Amino acid sequence: MRSIRAVVVAAIAAVPVLVLTACGSSSTKLASNDPFSSGGAQNPKDQPLTGGKRGGVLEVLNETEFEHIDPGLAYYNIDYAVVFATQRPLMVNKPNTYTEAVPDMAASNPEVSSDNKTVTVHLKTGIHFSPPVNREVISEDVAYAIERGANENVANPYIPTYFKVIEGMPSAKGGPVKGIVTPDKHTIVFHLSEPKAKLLVDAFVMPITAAVPKEYAEKFDKHKPSDYGNFQVATGPYMFKNDKSGKVLGIGYVPGKSMTLVRNPNWNAATDVRPAYLDEIRQKTGGSSPVIGRQVLSGTNVVQNELPAQSTVKLAYEKYRSQLEVSPGAGSHYISLNNAHGPFTNVNLRRAVYAATDRVALNRARGGTLVTTVQTHFIYPGIRGFEESGGVKGPRFDFNEYPQGNPKVAEKYIKLAGYPSGKYTGGKTITVVGASNPPAKEDAEIFDQTLKSLGFTTKLTLVDSATAYAKYCNVPKEEIDVCPSVGWIADFADPQTVLNITFNGKSIVSTGNVNWGQTNIPRINAAMTAAESINAEPARRKAWAKIDEELVENAVAIPFDWDKQANIEGTTVKGVGDLWDTGEWDYSWTSLK
Amino acid sequence: MSVGAAELVPGAPGGLEFLESRAEVAARSPLQLFWRRFRQDRVAKVSLAVILLLIVIALAAPLVIKIFGLPGPNVENPNLTDQFGSPLGPSSAHPFGVDSLGQDVMSRTIYGGRVALEVGIIGTGIATVIGVLVGTLAGFYRGWVDTLLSRLIDVVLSIPILLLGLGIGAACAVRGCIKGAIQPGLGVIIFLISLATWPYTARIVRGLVLSLREREFVEASRGLGASDARIMLREILPNLAAPIIVYASLQIPTNILLEAGLSFLGVGIRPPTASWGNMIAQATPIFNTAWWWMVFPGIALLITVLAFNLLGDGLRDALNPRSAR
Repeated sequence: MRSIRAVVVAAIAAVPVLVLTACGSSSTKLASNDPFSSGGAQNPKDQPLTGGKRGGVLEVLNETEFEHIDPGLAYYNIDYAVVFATQRPLMVNKPNTYTEAVPDMAASNPEVSSDNKTVTVHLKTGIHFSPPVNREVISEDVAYAIERGANENVANPYIPTYFKVIEGMPSAKGGPVKGIVTPDKHTIVFHLSEPKAKLLVDAFVMPITAAVPKEYAEKFDKHKPSDYGNFQVATGPYMFKNDKSGKVLGIGYVPGKSMTLVRNPNWNAATDVRPAYLDEIRQKTGGSSPVIGRQVLSGTNVVQNELPAQSTVKLAYEKYRSQLEVSPGAGSHYISLNNAHGPFTNVNLRRAVYAATDRVALNRARGGTLVTTVQTHFIYPGIRGFEESGGVKGPRFDFNEYPQGNPKVAEKYIKLAGYPSGKYTGGKTITVVGASNPPAKEDAEIFDQTLKSLGFTTKLTLVDSATAYAKYCNVPKEEIDVCPSVGWIADFADPQTVLNITFNGKSIVSTGNVNWGQTNIPRINAAMTAAESINAEPARRKAWAKIDEELVENAVAIPFDWDKQANIEGTTVKGVGDLWDTGEWDYSWTSLK
Repeated sequence: MSVGAAELVPGAPGGLEFLESRAEVAARSPLQLFWRRFRQDRVAKVSLAVILLLIVIALAAPLVIKIFGLPGPNVENPNLTDQFGSPLGPSSAHPFGVDSLGQDVMSRTIYGGRVALEVGIIGTGIATVIGVLVGTLAGFYRGWVDTLLSRLIDVVLSIPILLLGLGIGAACAVRGCIKGAIQPGLGVIIFLISLATWPYTARIVRGLVLSLREREFVEASRGLGASDARIMLREILPNLAAPIIVYASLQIPTNILLEAGLSFLGVGIRPPTASWGNMIAQATPIFNTAWWWMVFPGIALLITVLAFNLLGDGLRDALNPRSAR
């Protein structure tokens, strides 16, 4: 589970483009509120996965820098583009699917014991590490890859969420972990402390399950922080360009400047579902997103593999539509209300502001219906349980019925909250902290006006995105009343990954807290605990859908946008985007025309 | 060219014949001299008119937008953006177009002028008062007082104001600092501008006072038993008026630009209050599709700064007896 942070930073443009030609408006009307529509642009779901031309060099122009290229640490869309091209986790999502993972390093689907406490994975044979390691991958490499995630020098961010169910993992400091057993070279067995095999198996698509050779990586993992990423070896079709010692830093990866992927000479195509058409991928990092957008749309053999600027998306839609991909189901955005402190501990006040919020206006500020859909509940399109929790219309509560807001419904709930005038007269100043970059800034200002219209006195502060989260919204003791545009994207299509950390009272922590509203409703917490242990479908998705409905009923936050992400490519690129994530171009499937 | 005696009594015939007729003798006051010279400067006069117009518009902003039929500066209207969320351009209803929230750019530009003039004039006023006070004391008393105040000036000048602004903006953004006493916004901007600019005034004044205190009229006053305070207020300060006015008039546009810069960096005026700096900053990412959002506040900023600068030049020429005009 990842909060959507820097993906929006790419929308910040630093340098104005002195071209005034693209000001015309399109006569094309976009699709209505359909969360699965791409509005006439390419949809990753429909992109052909076969028939690409082999060879060529793809140029990538990105404003945004990678966070981590180490597969044990990577947890960001920008990082994923290179990590999934160079590594082979146990399972992998095909680009055109939300929910169907197929075996990658695994030889077949994982075997789950009847008590849901043991998971056995058989590995493929004949898969080798890239130079300088070169040897065949064995089960101990997968075990080490996961164990090193618990090493404080690596400190993988999602180990506690998905892998702590493995026996011995909660207290692990890097391995060996009691619950991870390798009975032979091509079998790995996970013994679980609780019968929660389903979530673990789903998590096998995460990059931390990609094999890491212990004898090679251990010395790098002793550094704090680990610098294995700068010397990493690959199992996938591509590898970072490196020297004979395996050094990547300064060769295949120059921080803030460039990245080069070349073919992995040891890659075994016969064992992989990916075609890997391209010969090389070269990324230039830096510059201004609007400028990059124009370069890409008018260029050849080039893509931008991050969220383009809003002006670029508009230009692409109006003039270069064949070069635009829109990927539905790319996460969601909602307004977090402080459930634990201040006026919004009152559920009826939360319902009142929910009812008054113009979600259409918020979405328009985020780029309109091409890249947004009015959100009516928290499980988003593409995640199991979406239809069960109400689909597009969502749970039927009067405060959820009006996408453009309804002052009368708002007034009703303010009165129920104990303010007979129909306006908030409690006197408390509402602290609103938002990010200063568009479109989060617009979200904040629109919601600030909504609060004022209901009688609240507000103090709106806009700071840079990182500060807004790290210093305020993620820190409960700051007692921020409203964080107007928090975002969430699931790691895989299980509803637990959308709801548990973000709304379970047990997940509230003093720093880095992503249960932004500090929602802590005992009945919902208990329902989540019960749902975590449900391994069978459709019971599991129904249980989480019910929880979703209860979260909406309690107006724990105001959902407003089911995101779709736009991606752009040059004229000669046959891009394939990852539907299961944010539609970013998948280098292992993309080809040149 | 220096000012000749004949210029003191214009219209007098050549030579010293005019001394023969006392009725024709009409020595002009410094103010009259100033005005006579100032009114000959067309550029300065136009600048003054522009500034007065800006002040009137700023003071009467609610009335002005009512006359033009514009919405208030903070009125959001998402229907004024297109289907991609891009703001719509100039039209008869919104002559300067709208921004990404559908707020009227003309209305916000007018209200932004209020902030600019407030910061420019008040900030300069405070800095001038402090600068004159410190400079006069340092120059008049010399010795340890001068040393102390001059070092204080050096210390203040060494403070990186932009970084201080960014720091205050970051550290005090949400809860404020010193138990909420410091809150980013107009007050802090004026404080920073005053802090940044008073030392320059103080240095100029100190130098002038060091010279003036040695002049005969000061000696005479001292000989007549005048107190230090009286000498400073009655003898020295009036002689400082011209350079102070000129310097302050040139400092106002600098301060307006500083406010715009701080707001551009996000540490100035808080949204939704309109400021030219934050309007330009917000418009930057979409300048290629919504040029009006940046251009109109930019033009307003340009005109204001230019007008103050040209007025300052005019004042300098008019108040300086040794100027060419």
